[in-house]
Amino acid sequence: MSAAHDEGHGHGPAAAELPPGVKLAPGDPEQTWVEKLYLPEVARGLNNTFKHIFRKKFTIDYDQTDRDNPAKFHRPREGYRGEHYLKKDEDGHVKCVACFMCAAACPAECIHIEAEATPTDWNNRERYPRRFEIDMLRCIYCGMCEEACPVDAIALSTTYNLVADTREAKVYDRDKLMKTGEDLGISLSKHKYRPDGVPGAVPHKKAH
Amino acid sequence: MADYLWKLLPILLVFGGVLGIVPFLVFLERKICAYIQDRVGPNRVGLLGPDGFLEAVVGVPITKKRILGGFFQPLADAIKLITKEDFIPSHAEKFLFTMAPFFALLPPFLAFIVIPVGPDVTLFGQSVMLQVADLNVGVLWILAVASLSAYGVAMGGWASNSKYSLLGGIRATAQMISYEVAMGIVLLSVLMHYDSVSLRDMVGVQSAGLGSWGLWHQPVAFILFVICAFAENNRLPFDLPECEAELVGGYHTEYNSMKFGMFFQGEYIAMLGMGALTTALFLGGWHFPGYAWLKETIGAWVTVFALAAFAAKVMAFVLFQMWVRWTLPRFRYDQLMNLGWKGMIPIALLNLIVTAWINLPKGT
Repeated sequence: MSAAHDEGHGHGPAAAELPPGVKLAPGDPEQTWVEKLYLPEVARGLNNTFKHIFRKKFTIDYDQTDRDNPAKFHRPREGYRGEHYLKKDEDGHVKCVACFMCAAACPAECIHIEAEATPTDWNNRERYPRRFEIDMLRCIYCGMCEEACPVDAIALSTTYNLVADTREAKVYDRDKLMKTGEDLGISLSKHKYRPDGVPGAVPHKKAH
Repeated sequence: MADYLWKLLPILLVFGGVLGIVPFLVFLERKICAYIQDRVGPNRVGLLGPDGFLEAVVGVPITKKRILGGFFQPLADAIKLITKEDFIPSHAEKFLFTMAPFFALLPPFLAFIVIPVGPDVTLFGQSVMLQVADLNVGVLWILAVASLSAYGVAMGGWASNSKYSLLGGIRATAQMISYEVAMGIVLLSVLMHYDSVSLRDMVGVQSAGLGSWGLWHQPVAFILFVICAFAENNRLPFDLPECEAELVGGYHTEYNSMKFGMFFQGEYIAMLGMGALTTALFLGGWHFPGYAWLKETIGAWVTVFALAAFAAKVMAFVLFQMWVRWTLPRFRYDQLMNLGWKGMIPIALLNLIVTAWINLPKGT
């Protein structure tokens, strides 16, 4: 190894001390005398960083600084798990049938439902949630509630700026959850209730 | 008595200017850092608009768009630093711990005393020198007080009674002493060229147009001096006293609130100080091409342009320091010492000999 390696490019013992047949892994390449002057390389680096000043920025405007330009808002990809919302049926009522499947599936136990018999003029099912609350401070955004729901009533939107001034404001009630879906225009559930009134999806016809 | 009152003018000009520009430098540094790294940087705390200071006062944003977004970030930072709890660790040496930030802040200020920022002006029949004091030791004064700033860092490191801080302090001391040797030798050759130690005289020599600037007469000294300036200011690539990666911030690991703020401020004032010194020594001070012509045309108002030229040169140097900081990685400690003792000092000595040879006829 040459003297240059004493300046900090050495890798272990000198080659002469190694057992026969053993080679050192290639270390840093030997510096030329121009490189050892540092200054030309510094100038190259400065040139590089100077060019970066005028490059396009990677920063995404995530909290809508430019409020007049909705095109610039950042939207996450499909499938991003953000704030929950409750969907509606064709009549505009809450889609939920208060089956407690989501509350049971929730690993954080943050969903609280109180069920009630539907008003007489709702003739597509028997139960609906009088109270539906999600404690967003406990929620871990795993999406299990969406998976568990038999009637496609609850889902996670892609809304991600989840801030509030108080803890109370982070406990979302039924109206707030429904409003989230309305505001995003994705409120209508694709699910059809079973004609017999039993909660759950319409069963597939058996092949045999 | 009136003489003393007039003396206030350069003092207020120099110290007010320096203190006023430091917050702006912090903003500039963060912005340049961000742009070099393809980021946006601070763009929130503005004057009007959302997150603006007037919104904080009035309660509602006045405009929908952010105006001067981020420009007032240093003000917000300062408010945070001042109102934060002034915490001293129980294991720290209280007296030294409190004194260290002052020792870090004061020397960079003192260095400004001998720097001429503009030509003499005549105000209401009184001739005023735009330099706080024309000491007869001149450049030597700057060398003396610049060495003092090592005390602040070393004291901070020692008084913190923490391993990281102590290592940072020791590194700072060793580094500053090593590079001060090279800087001293470089300055010797500069002194030979100007045949004076007074910065006022040096700037006077550079009055004869662009070709008379020290940069062209002492190019090697200029490069070496700039490198030494980086090391003296503990700026990257020589910021080993701080060294976020290994020393968790080095000498100011244990500091918080405004004590940390003072270390920070000291660093930026030192940057300005080195910029001002480089300007006075190599970049023609407050002179600019066309100075004589402009003086004949607009008379005494040329002083404004001279001050602006001086400020522009200092800012250019400071911007260069920031640009380099976000370009180069940090030297390893042995590389730093190798460069200082085996690179800088021999070249500086060689430069000294050559300068002495050239200037030999001048002395006799």
